Amino acid sequence: MILRTPPPKRPRTEIKAAEEGYPVGSGRHLVIYEDSPVVHDQPSEHLLCTYQCRQMVKSEFFDALSSAEKQARDYQSKWETLNDSFCKVEAERNRFMEQFLYVEQELAAAKGREQALQEQLLKEVNDSRERFKKHIQSYKEVEIKLKDEVNLRKKAESSAASSEEKANNLEGQLTRLSESMKREKHSFQVELGQLKKDSKYSLSRKNAELEKMESIAINAEKELVLLNENMEDLKKHLNECLYQKGEAEKKLATLTFQEPNSSDASLLVKHLQEELRNYEVEVQEAKKLKSSYEQIELLREKLLEERSRRDRAESEISKLQELQFSMNTLDELSSWKTMMQNIPDVSSPDDVPAKFASLQKEVLDSMMKLGELNARFKQMEVALDGAQFSKQSAKADAALARDKLKGMEEEVKQLQLMLSTITDERDRLKDLLEDSRSMKGDVGGSEIADGKLLQELQLSIANKECYIKELESTVQMKQEMNNRQQEEITLLGEKLNDEARRIRSLERESDRLRSEISLLESKLGHGDFSTESTKVLRMVNTLAVDSEAKETIEALRSELQKAKDKLKAVEELNNQSGNTVKSVDSHISEKLKQLKEQIATLEKREERYKTVFADRISVFRRACCELFGYKIVMDERQRPNGIPVTRFTLQSIYAQSDEEKLEFEYESGNLSVVVNAYSSQPDISQQVGIFIHKLNSIPAFTSNLTVESFNRRTLS
Amino acid sequence: MASKTVAKDIITLRGSAAIVSEFFGYAANSILYNRGVYPEESFAKVKKYGLPMLLTEDEDVKSFIANLTSQLSEWLEAGKLQRVVLVIMSKSSGEVLERWNFSIETDGEVVEKGESREKSDKEIMREIQAIMRQIVSSITYLPCLDEPCVFDVLAYTDKDVAVPFTWMESDPKLIANPQMVKLHSFDTKIHKVDTLVSYKNDEWDDQ
Repeated sequence: MILRTPPPKRPRTEIKAAEEGYPVGSGRHLVIYEDSPVVHDQPSEHLLCTYQCRQMVKSEFFDALSSAEKQARDYQSKWETLNDSFCKVEAERNRFMEQFLYVEQELAAAKGREQALQEQLLKEVNDSRERFKKHIQSYKEVEIKLKDEVNLRKKAESSAASSEEKANNLEGQLTRLSESMKREKHSFQVELGQLKKDSKYSLSRKNAELEKMESIAINAEKELVLLNENMEDLKKHLNECLYQKGEAEKKLATLTFQEPNSSDASLLVKHLQEELRNYEVEVQEAKKLKSSYEQIELLREKLLEERSRRDRAESEISKLQELQFSMNTLDELSSWKTMMQNIPDVSSPDDVPAKFASLQKEVLDSMMKLGELNARFKQMEVALDGAQFSKQSAKADAALARDKLKGMEEEVKQLQLMLSTITDERDRLKDLLEDSRSMKGDVGGSEIADGKLLQELQLSIANKECYIKELESTVQMKQEMNNRQQEEITLLGEKLNDEARRIRSLERESDRLRSEISLLESKLGHGDFSTESTKVLRMVNTLAVDSEAKETIEALRSELQKAKDKLKAVEELNNQSGNTVKSVDSHISEKLKQLKEQIATLEKREERYKTVFADRISVFRRACCELFGYKIVMDERQRPNGIPVTRFTLQSIYAQSDEEKLEFEYESGNLSVVVNAYSSQPDISQQVGIFIHKLNSIPAFTSNLTVESFNRRTLS
Repeated sequence: MASKTVAKDIITLRGSAAIVSEFFGYAANSILYNRGVYPEESFAKVKKYGLPMLLTEDEDVKSFIANLTSQLSEWLEAGKLQRVVLVIMSKSSGEVLERWNFSIETDGEVVEKGESREKSDKEIMREIQAIMRQIVSSITYLPCLDEPCVFDVLAYTDKDVAVPFTWMESDPKLIANPQMVKLHSFDTKIHKVDTLVSYKNDEWDDQ
């Protein structure tokens, strides 16, 4: 828009100053010389305008004006653009203000959260510090204890090693001694065996000889007696014969004088000679008998001597055994003495048990300490695992916090970028303002309003700068806060590791508990139970029981109950009624009698059943004994854990002693041999191993045993 | 039958004992049928728990189970019964082949104070139905019983229980190294019954 109103005239002094200072037509001040009555004293060599010059000046002025107007328009457009930019900047400023307010709100919220977090963190930090302190103290104490216990353990291990070495040495010595002892024993046993065999052999031989001699002696005695009798008879005969011989000689002597009867005498003589020969033969036999009698007496004496020798040999054998026993004890004592000499701090046998007890105590203490150490190691491992876990969780939180920090930092960077852009725009605006000021200084008064606007812009920019500074300060504060948060996050990370360890330990305990639960469930399923609180019952009357006995028992029970009820009713009636008692009494007494008779019959029946059962059982047992050759005794027992078990004791009818008994246990359909003194004998145990363990046949074992015992019995 | 009011499904100690003992009777019959302890023709079909159940018609077995359930009910009311085990054994050797274990947990407060509990009959029946179905389906994994078998019932009671005339103490008739399968359980809020079957390892399975 072209200004048509000319600018106000300046006073002449200004014009003069303008004429002096500025040439014409070059944007300078125009000096218009007009016809004026004022005569200038000073000669003016300035430009004198005629009308043409005035027109020229006017045109030039208008040109300048138009150019100024153009400039003004340009400035105005620029101002408008600046205004637009200012509006935009204002809008941006408003937006930034809103953002700033939002950020402030967020900051306030974040501050509140941070304060809360800080408080929590402070609390947790304090708690963790206290816990750490306690842990550290406990760790120190544990470390000290660990060191002490490690030292103790080392000492115990060294003492255990030394004791083991000693024990090994002692064992070596013992083995050597035992080997030597065994060898000597073996040699002694061999000698003993030989001696025994020899003695047995000699004894048996002597016994046989003795028996022979005894039998011979008995026979000889009998013969002696007979011979004595014969001898006496023969003596009598001899005497008679001698007498007859004397008479015969007398007769012979007389007969020599009487020859006609010589044939009868020769017969007599022959007869007498024959009798003589017979008597001589008998005399010789009597002499033989006498000699045999003397031999028998000699043999008797020998027998007595042999018997005395046998007694002496038996006594010596018994002495041998005692000597051997004493030798064994002496050998053991000598070995113990040598062992005692090797054992330190032992001077007498009485010290040995005390030394062993002390060694055992030491071993037990060391084992206890070892166990405690192991438990503490495990606890420390658990605590370490907990701390690691909490550390890992704290790391995770730290990573999250770092991510947040990064986001915050990026926001801060964005804000800084915005700030930088705003400052750049501010600088540009400043430059533009300065340019516009410099431009507008030439233009004049219409630009004063622009200057005011520019001043307002500058004020707003200054305010913006203040806001930007405040934002920068807040960003710095945030950074400081972030640094503090990072530190707190590291602390949290450590706490989290601890908690992670604790969680692992809890998981381990839960696994252990689960395994225990599964073990208990398996035990429950297996059927185990505590004998202190539980017992197992089963019905006696299984399906194989005689139903008649059941019915009779139930009938007996019902009758008993009825009888009892009736008795009670009768007693109640007796208590209640008075006069009617007499009439009722008789009735009741009859009923009572009937009931009592019933009870007696029932009791008799029960006794009869018992006796019948006992008879049948005894018959059955006797039949089993005779059929299978074993007396079987059944016995119900209880094991130490409370489980009832049926035990069968078998004794063969061919057993040579009462100790020859086999014992079996029956449980859940399985029979097992019970080891006792008889079954642990080598012969029997061998058979048990073959027939029962290998071939799994108890009948084969028992039948084999009966055959063997039968053979032994018959042979003996 | 459980003593209950229809409207509120209240269960008393006596009612719960009756439910559990009745369950055991039917379970025993089902086991005897499915395991072939007694021939199929000796069983008759009845409806119970919403299922067709098989009950033995053998008088001896029937009376045995009836006496058993009555005694179990008595012990359940006294809170003295801990477990009931149905044992299947070989007739020839007496070896224990299977153990059907019914563990019982009793609410002590109910026994001491005579309180009652609330539970729906339908819910209890549904739980028992599940157990009966599992008993029937157990033949798929239990080894075949090729030889004649007999059964017996063991009761695990408290130590202070007076042993009745028709009962005696026994050994638990355990199986060495058994295989075990846990079945479902049912709960009347007074008695909780857990079922488990343990059986002897089949030699073919080991090979």
